[in-house]
Amino acid sequence: MKLRILRKLPTEEGQFWEEFEYSGPADYSVAAMLEDLNYRDDIINSKGEHVPRISWACSCLQSKCGACAMVINGTPALACETFLRDLGSSVTLQPLSKFPVISDLVVDRSGIQENLLNTSSFIKEYKESPQGEHGHQYTAAKCLKCGLCLEVCPNYKGGEHFYGALFANDCYLIATRSGVFDDSISEEYKKHFGSGCSKSFSCMDVCPMNIPTLSSMAKMNRRRS
Amino acid sequence: MSEVKGMKKILIIGSGISGMTAAISCAQKGMHAIMVSPFMSERAQSVMAEGGINAALDNMGEGDSVEKHIEDTLKGGNMLAGELAVRDLCEKAPEIIRWLENLGTVFSLKADGRIDQRAFGGQSCRRTCYCGASTGKQIVTALIMEARRYEAMGLIERRIWNDFHSGLIRDGRCYGALIYNEASGQLEPVYADAVIMATGGQNALFGKTTGSTQCDGYAAGRLFMQGAMLKNLEFIQYHPTTLETGQKKMLVSEAARGEGGRLYYEEDGRRVYFMEDMYGEKGNLMPRDVVSRCMYDTKRQVYLDMTMLGEKIDSKIPEIRDVCLKYGGIDIHKESVPVSPSVHFFMGGFAVDAGHMTNIEGLYAVGECASRYHGANRLGGNSLLAAVYSGMTAAEAIYAKSDSAVSESSGIETASGEKPDFSEYFKEYIEEERGKFFGLFGSESKFPVMYLRDMAAETMNRDLGIVRDEEQLQNGIADLDYYIDLAEHIRYDRSVLPYFNYSVGAILVLAKATLICARERRESRGAHYRSDYPETSEDMRAATLISYDDGEFNVSLDREGRFER
Repeated sequence: MKLRILRKLPTEEGQFWEEFEYSGPADYSVAAMLEDLNYRDDIINSKGEHVPRISWACSCLQSKCGACAMVINGTPALACETFLRDLGSSVTLQPLSKFPVISDLVVDRSGIQENLLNTSSFIKEYKESPQGEHGHQYTAAKCLKCGLCLEVCPNYKGGEHFYGALFANDCYLIATRSGVFDDSISEEYKKHFGSGCSKSFSCMDVCPMNIPTLSSMAKMNRRRS
Repeated sequence: MSEVKGMKKILIIGSGISGMTAAISCAQKGMHAIMVSPFMSERAQSVMAEGGINAALDNMGEGDSVEKHIEDTLKGGNMLAGELAVRDLCEKAPEIIRWLENLGTVFSLKADGRIDQRAFGGQSCRRTCYCGASTGKQIVTALIMEARRYEAMGLIERRIWNDFHSGLIRDGRCYGALIYNEASGQLEPVYADAVIMATGGQNALFGKTTGSTQCDGYAAGRLFMQGAMLKNLEFIQYHPTTLETGQKKMLVSEAARGEGGRLYYEEDGRRVYFMEDMYGEKGNLMPRDVVSRCMYDTKRQVYLDMTMLGEKIDSKIPEIRDVCLKYGGIDIHKESVPVSPSVHFFMGGFAVDAGHMTNIEGLYAVGECASRYHGANRLGGNSLLAAVYSGMTAAEAIYAKSDSAVSESSGIETASGEKPDFSEYFKEYIEEERGKFFGLFGSESKFPVMYLRDMAAETMNRDLGIVRDEEQLQNGIADLDYYIDLAEHIRYDRSVLPYFNYSVGAILVLAKATLICARERRESRGAHYRSDYPETSEDMRAATLISYDDGEFNVSLDREGRFER
């Protein structure tokens, strides 16, 4: 199998493509493949050159933490739940493009937290929520902050003004559980999501937690009127 | 109000449930918390906890009580945990659930709107509160939002892309930690009035486990080498039901059996429900150590059958359904799942007192890296409880210490109330460590440091399994001695994160300490089973303590209950 990786060395600026030959079990995930490649005696590219080991981030290895988000054959996905059997004879790996690249497939997603902090995304005063919201809240609270929804979004540029689907879902979580009517979160929603979303809903296609962003939006929009 | 003069500064290593709870509790008391971790909290191992969190709320109307929770926890731990410690934990549990609920944790509810409680192993009543099958994740989400409130106030400061290197410790007191900053590539000292370790269990000792790759035990190993006492390392919980896959051992939560799932093996074309045969109706829900050992004893492939749960699969345990389908290609509605025990939780860790302080003044430990409540075996649902409880308790203990404790115990003369300047105090140590650190880069070696970790893990899995004996343990110790010696002489491929290269030595030392603790406990108790000493010995009903002094490992039994108060 041909493996192409868009790489970046931690000490250098530019990115470059590197090709590898890989043969491993088809039921391996991309994460299992990366680990397999990295812990051979040498890591050798398809030109036969010794190259630095591939950096990528992981923690849970079972789609619960979001660390290993990357772009696999052009689609933003988690490496730990994307299997070689579904990828064909060539696999292309790229780091998420909407975040600063640290090295190889490792990106700095701390901008996500900064935006949530700057918009005071927390429950000011907790109130038990209406019965019907429980299931939706449970799913929304599973957001991994992996950034896949931001990667795929045509409107998200880097989080300067538009904060993307994960922000809309956090707004929903906060709004439906706040004791006082929280105007500020509605305002932030409007400013950093509502006014910028062109409704492609690609975010929902790639979300590993299947969060129904559309219904979070509907509830936030209804609330504002 | 970022840093007010005189405000206590607390350094927290780790940002999972126990670390965040500690940070929030510090901030609530007006202390300044710096939370250091390689990644953001969403990546913490805490998000993987599925099953639940115990509290005697008696929402199920079965007559549950705090006393029963205490009794079950002590009994589940084979009477090795301190009764006072367990009492503190269980008494606080209902309040902890209310606190989490008020932060917005999305608990699963009963029809009457109260929190639902499920059955878990070793419990006399349905006591485990849960959030579907993602309890840890739901709690993490709530804590992240709550921590953000204090971040906005400047009371909690997060530093990611930072890794623990070592403690800044002198004369039995901790003044902060040396931190490897991945962005600057430097070792940087962070001084603090107290340091709280919240680094999770030592998974890396065993290679692939059910847990996160981020929890490697390095911090515990390093601080052990710097004088911190560790406790009960030999008690390692095997989760009975994990599914083997290419990348890891996937946990199949105890909730599967709590809801009615049954374990069996096949013999002559029929199913043998061995747990029920041995222990009756509640057999599948015996404590984890018992179930794992029984599975080991069958010497056969064991299966978990959940097909009889029908619709309950989709309503109560959808995450289990998804994991088995995605990673094992198994539809649990129709098929049984082949399961085997895997390392899951470490009952042992830093020895801590009632305020979660180690034997080193100013150094605290919380969550899984601390050892206090679980004795020889932890009950499901008690670790999330202990994570939250210990985070709160450490913060309270630090707050209660007199403000001048730092300068008093340091023995440094200071101008009126000013804290001493520690940069001079640790200058030599820091320079030496920086020298060693940069020494790691002077190599063209392609040797992957992971090989050494993998070899040690192989030893640990072989010689420190579910059933142990003196000879095996002795072999393991000899292997580790060899690896420790190697680690001091080999240079590694520098194209991996420097953290992996500087951490390997202390991880190996911790592995050796664990084997020594297991060798010295010549009895069987809870998760520690010795085929050469199969009986429980009343004489050994005390925690194992181990300390390190320049290559010497000193083991003793804590008969005086030194860490019980």
